[in-house]
Amino acid sequence: MENSVKISVRGLNFYYGGFKALDDISLDLKKNQVSALIGPSGCGKSTFLRCLNRMNDLIPISRVEGEIYLDHENICSPDIDVVNLRRRVGMVFQKPNPFPKTIFENVAYGLRVIGVRDKRDLRERVEKSLYQAALFDEVKDRLHESALGLSGGQQQRLCIARALAVEPEVVLMDEPASALDPIATQKIEDLIHELKKNFTIVIVTHSMQQAARVSDTTAFFYMGRLIETGDTETIFTRPSLKQTEDYITGRFG
Amino acid sequence: MERQHFIQELEQLKMTMLNMAALTRRAVGKAVQAYLTRDEALAREVIEGDRQINNLELEVDRLCLKLLALEQPMARDLRYIIGSTKISNELERIADQAVNIAERTQFLCQHPPLEPIKGMEQLAAVVEAMLDKAVSSLVDLDPKKAQEIRQMDDQADLHTLEVLQTLIDYMVQSTPMAERRLLKTRRSIQIIIISRCLERVADLSTNIGEYVAFIVTGINIKHQEIPPSLQA
Repeated sequence: MENSVKISVRGLNFYYGGFKALDDISLDLKKNQVSALIGPSGCGKSTFLRCLNRMNDLIPISRVEGEIYLDHENICSPDIDVVNLRRRVGMVFQKPNPFPKTIFENVAYGLRVIGVRDKRDLRERVEKSLYQAALFDEVKDRLHESALGLSGGQQQRLCIARALAVEPEVVLMDEPASALDPIATQKIEDLIHELKKNFTIVIVTHSMQQAARVSDTTAFFYMGRLIETGDTETIFTRPSLKQTEDYITGRFG
Repeated sequence: MERQHFIQELEQLKMTMLNMAALTRRAVGKAVQAYLTRDEALAREVIEGDRQINNLELEVDRLCLKLLALEQPMARDLRYIIGSTKISNELERIADQAVNIAERTQFLCQHPPLEPIKGMEQLAAVVEAMLDKAVSSLVDLDPKKAQEIRQMDDQADLHTLEVLQTLIDYMVQSTPMAERRLLKTRRSIQIIIISRCLERVADLSTNIGEYVAFIVTGINIKHQEIPPSLQA
């Protein structure tokens, strides 16, 4: 069955001051799929990712043109509630960034922000998120110890649990495994496969092998433009454009 | 960030493939010539040369495995490597057919010649031309030769049938002495085997053309019609 479109980007331009970082991007991201964004440093893939939950609003000199529809609602519109948008479109960053709090409180944080007060409800939701992030078994006996005592891979899964706790629809991942060792990376990749059953995932990665392993569709960015997009198997076995071919075969980039 | 090291290793694979293709082409040429001219020494040369081709097949396999394991090749590079494992396998089988022809030739050289077999020279010529095209499609990475090779395969099949029919007719002709009749039949069967070997070379050459088309375009045309974009 064809997955429906979750996010539809149309004619997106993005400027940092006078620099045009994204140039006329139109791209559909499908529900319950993993979409990978690849391309050399500075190609605009992270900027694009941050447009999807308006993280770029935090950069004062930035400016956006075009439309981004989340389930038919244009999230670029000024009357969008950005806090609610970021609840619906969560984000995991390159470096695990747990709060200097307990494991439990890290995950409970977002829930408290959205007004969950009931202790039992809170505990159930925290446990569910830790379970979804494939971390629960490793931390169940020390939920009230500091999150900073976890390993890097565990911290990253904790950050994923924290993102999942508020039940987002889309999870954005910006190089989620680049600071992790191979075993922790594999756990994150396995987790991504698992998470797409319930979430729509967009991942930026420098590792083409990782994009090939985890994603259903791949989009190749170069110098602010979307060069080619398609299902991952096609992009990595027979891309249609030479520029894509040259990048993924390591001839430039 | 050009992948210099990877590109060098890939070049080494390409050189090994071309070397293997050239030696295989030569082995078939020599085997056919040995049969047609009853040259026992040349037949022996083909048999002795086969080891080198076998070793090249092992070398191609080793290089492909290494590139896959260590370099995570993508797209056209990946297709070249996968295609190489397939093509080297076909080349090795073609070389084995050359050895088989050479062994039959050695037997035939030890007995008086039969009269020329109708269709045999034409069969050899078509098959060698097909192998030439297969090798040049690999050298030039030309996907359009696949269609030409496939078209020639029909001719090869016709000539194979012609040879078979000629030899059947020949075998059923009455020959007075039982001993001579047996020898005639044995020689005829050897030649039937040679024609069968040539027909196999034709089929394997067709496969090589198809793998080259896959390497270049990513489209697998085996067991199906050739798309218009790949027609010459």
